[in-house]
This record gives sequence, C-alpha cells and structure tokens, in this order.
Amino acid sequence: MIPAGMPLAGSYDPLVVALSVVIAVAASYAALDLAGRVAAGKGWSFATWLTCGSLGMGVGIWSMHFTGMLAFSLPVPVSYYWPTVVLSYAVAVVAAALALYVASRKQMSSARAVGSGVVMGCGIAALHYLCMMAMQMAADFRFDFLLVALSVVLAIAFSYSALRLAFHFRDAKEEVAWRKLGSACVMATAICAMHYTGMAAATFTSSGTEPDLSHSVTVSSLGTTGIITVTLLVLGFAILSSIVDRRFHAQALELALTQTKVELARVGRATSLGELAASIAHEINQPIGAVANSASACLRWLATQPPNLEEARIAAARTVREATRAGEVITRIRALLKNEPPTKERVDLNEVIREVLTLAGNEIEKGRIAVTTALAADAPAVLGDRVQLQQVILNLITNAIAAMISVEDHPRELRIETVADSGTVQVSVQDSGVGLGHEDVEQLFRPFFTTKRGGMGMGLSISRSIIEAHGGRLWAAPRSGHGAVFQFNLPRADGAA
Amino acid sequence: MTEPEPLVIVIDDDAPTRETLSSLIRSVGLRVELFGSAQEFLKSEQLDAPGCLVLDIRLHGIGGLDLQGRLAAANIRIPIIFITGHGDIQMSVRAMKAGAIEFLTKPFRDQDLLDAIYVGLEKDRERRQREAEVAI
Repeated sequence: MIPAGMPLAGSYDPLVVALSVVIAVAASYAALDLAGRVAAGKGWSFATWLTCGSLGMGVGIWSMHFTGMLAFSLPVPVSYYWPTVVLSYAVAVVAAALALYVASRKQMSSARAVGSGVVMGCGIAALHYLCMMAMQMAADFRFDFLLVALSVVLAIAFSYSALRLAFHFRDAKEEVAWRKLGSACVMATAICAMHYTGMAAATFTSSGTEPDLSHSVTVSSLGTTGIITVTLLVLGFAILSSIVDRRFHAQALELALTQTKVELARVGRATSLGELAASIAHEINQPIGAVANSASACLRWLATQPPNLEEARIAAARTVREATRAGEVITRIRALLKNEPPTKERVDLNEVIREVLTLAGNEIEKGRIAVTTALAADAPAVLGDRVQLQQVILNLITNAIAAMISVEDHPRELRIETVADSGTVQVSVQDSGVGLGHEDVEQLFRPFFTTKRGGMGMGLSISRSIIEAHGGRLWAAPRSGHGAVFQFNLPRADGAA
Repeated sequence: MTEPEPLVIVIDDDAPTRETLSSLIRSVGLRVELFGSAQEFLKSEQLDAPGCLVLDIRLHGIGGLDLQGRLAAANIRIPIIFITGHGDIQMSVRAMKAGAIEFLTKPFRDQDLLDAIYVGLEKDRERRQREAEVAI
C-alpha cells in the first residue's frame, strides 16, 4: 500500500490512446453522416434515425472518453462504479440526440448553434468528469480548475464546430466523403484535446485507504479490447446503414424523377397530338366549309328568277379559291410533319420499345393483357428523332390495347418483335384484338379515320408520316387467328447494304 | 309605321367565310352586314337593329361566347346562331344555355344555317311585336 498523500504519476498506454483517437474519428464521421439521414427522414424514419443515431453516437462519444480513461493507468488498481458509468453513457446519448436534432433542422441560426453548442459541450464535459468520478481506487484527485475550465471551453468549441459541420455536410453527396473524413479528423482532434486536457487537469495522490468497491467493476485489457471493438462495430454499422440508406434514398428519388419525366413527356405528347389534330381540323374546316357553302350559294343564285349570273360566277370562283386553299393547308401540314425531324440521333429501337412498354404498363395491366417480346439482341441502331419514334410505338401499342379491350373469348396477347436484316430494322406489333375487318386496310392511315369512340383518327396517319420522314414504311395486315399486325421498318444507322 | 327590313349580321374573322355566308344569305333575299371582329360590331350602329346574329365562336380579341355575354348584359336580345370550326360539347352546351338559336359546326349544310336564320328572325320579330304591344 502506498502511503497517503504520495503523488501518483499516471502513464498512458500509447496503443489504447491511439485507438481512442480512432474511435473519435469514427464517431465524428458517423455523426456527420447521420445528421444527413436524420434530416432526410420524415415521421417514423426521422424518429428511428434520431433514436438509433443518438444511441450509436452516444456509444462513440462515451467510448472515446472511457477508452481514453482506460489508456491511463495509475500505480494503484482502479475499478469503476458502474451506475456512474451508465449515467455517463446516458449523458452521451442525450448530447448526441441534441446534436442530431439541431443539425437536422431546416435552418440553423447562430443563436441556436451557439446555444446548442454550449449545452452539448457541457454535456460532453459532464460525461468526461462523470467517467472520472466513477473511478474507485486507493487515491484522491484534485483538479486544476484552469485546465478544467479550458476543457469545458474546448468541449463547447468542439460541439459548436461539430454542429456547424454536420449541418453543412448533411445534404452532401458521397463525392465529398474525403472532405467529410477531413472534417471528422479535425473534430476528433478537438475531442481528444478536450479529453486529455480534462485528464491533465487532475492530479492523483494516494489516499492510503481501501476504496469502497461495491457496484464496481474492474476493466481488464480484454475488457478494453471488447469496448473498443464493440464501439467500432457500432459506429461502422451506423456509417454503413447511413450509406445504404442514402443510396436507397437517392435511387428512390431518381426513380421518382424519371417517372415524372416520362409522365410529363407522355402528357406533352398527347397534348401536342391533340392540339395538332384540333388545329388541323380548324385549318381545314374553314376552307372546306367555305367550299360547300359557296357552291350552295352558287346554285341558289342560279335558281333565282331570273338567275343572278354575276353572283353565281363570284360564288363559283370562291369555291375554286377555297378548294385550293384547303389543298394548300394539307400540303403545309404534310410539309410540317415531313420536315420536322432535324434531330437525327442514333436510336436503339429495342430500348424505345422497353420505355414505351413501361409507359403503357398501367393500361396493359388494367386491360389484363399478356405481353411477350422478341427483341433481336443484335438489332442495330437507326437514325432518327427519339421522341417521334417513341410516339409511333406508343401509338401502335395503345391501338393494340384498345383493339383488345372488348375481347373476352380468347387471351389478350400483345407481342412485339424486332428483326434486323442487312439494310433495315423492322418492328412488329401484334395484337389478338378485334382485327381489321373487311375494310380497306389503307384507310386506317387516312387522317381523321377512326374506329375508336372519341378518337381523333390522327394517330396512324401521323405515325405513317413520321416513319416515312425517317425513310421507312409503316403498314398493317390481319394476323392469322385473331387480331392485327402493324409493322414498320427503318434504315439502319450504319447504312449497311 | 313600317317595320325596317330585318338584317343578318355575320361576325367571322375569316374573310372568305364571311363572303361565302354573305352570298348565301343574300341569295335568299335577306340583307346582310359583315364584321371581322366583335369589337368592330360593338362599335357599329347596328347593335339594336332588328334581325339576328351569325357568330363565330373563335374570334380574335373578344370571343363569340364573350360577346354573347356582353350583349345579354347590355340587354340586347338579338338571337344568335353560333358557327365554329370545331365545336366541343361544353362550348355548345354553354352557348345554348345562354339562349343561342343554333350551334353549327363547320362544314355545315347551307340549309341548316338558313333555317336557323329564319328561326332567329322570326323570334326577333315576335319579341319586338310583343314589346311594341306592351308599350302601347
């Protein structure tokens, strides 16, 4: 037994000190990462991340300090009063929860950052000194209050900067991981500085009496290893789950974005097609109406007694003029559709088909339609306007779906094939619908011809214009058994003959 | 007092259509006046002339349905026949509910328009007669 009042010189185990630094870095990194997850969460996800994050970070903060203490050895045996140790962990969790909560708010005012920094810093200082108080040994310690004050100031400064950094990094992408790591190192340095200042603030003297060892535990080197291992596992798990969650989140976001875009494109296309049809109707109806009415007026002038030949002549001349105008309107529309594709890019038709099938997924499901595809894996790209080709395929598929809606006595099957030959890529869309009937197949492609209730009758005529403008052909044929086949071909982009 | 001869007013922003309608209406012996826009018509002296109005729905500036509303607000109860390049059901319902005589979609049969005009003129004449009797 060392006589009472003898100063005791402590020594540090450099390996354990180093490990405490590693824990500090890991805990800091986890904190920066977790803040982002808590901020991204809503409702349950927010509560879960906040709770688990605080427990995990609490382990990190507490373990760093406790490991730091274990690194310190005195010439007398030291055991720890475990209720105080548990309390110190609870303080760590509360400090961590406060930090995560504050850093995850929408805004961080300076007042809030300073206030939270002070509370959190005091919490960490409390945790540190609680850990020291838990020491049970044949020694007393005195504190150098200047150093204690310095350690508290360091704890507050660390907490403040940690909050700021966590807030700054929380929405960051993974690319800034190394900057995060750098910040974590700075934070860890601050934590260690705080801890080891706190340790230096105490001087130990032998008490000469046996300590009360009830409710106390001694920590063997094995125990130290255990604490460090568990801590690093917890922090590693926290960081890992945070990364996984972030990736998952980003992916979900991207998916939602893609869906919105696709939906928008579909609406846009439908609108422009509808508007186009409406304006064509308006443009053509104007002169056609004038033709019919002028011819009628002409007849009426001739029927008057006596016939008014001058008025009849004027009316007949106007009939001719308006008929010519109607023709010009049509020529203009055709030119518009034909000259449209200035954007010629390489388009993979298989890819377009898959996109369109996704687009039409809802209707396919609603119509309880079985889809099969046979897309030639080696189908070469074609040159063209992606959006227009999408529009053609979408039109063919929606037509096929519409043709099958009333079918009840045999399966509703949609089959899409691509075949490549030496010069072209051919796409066929087959349905088991009501078929083409006995009508002239070619009239399907005339503007305003429709068999659909509420249809504009523009889909196939525009589709054909688009395919022809791309140097291909679009045609229809009855399918053996039930339904119809619509096919088009387009020249290959590589121009192989 | 002799009744002034009724007048058919045509408002359409397409000149050939206007002239065609003029020719058609004159061929059955009716008087016609043409306007290219609702504004022109509103500025004219013809607002309260006996007769009826053949009105295009889609006009630059004040549209056909708009004009119908304005005339009603000003208590000018001239019968209106709507014509349109492409009518939708909503529009026609709105026009008919607001008291239009007929809603014709181009191209329409000449006889349909003339029949509607006759109905409009007859309604206008009856209304004016009733009002004259009340005034007496």
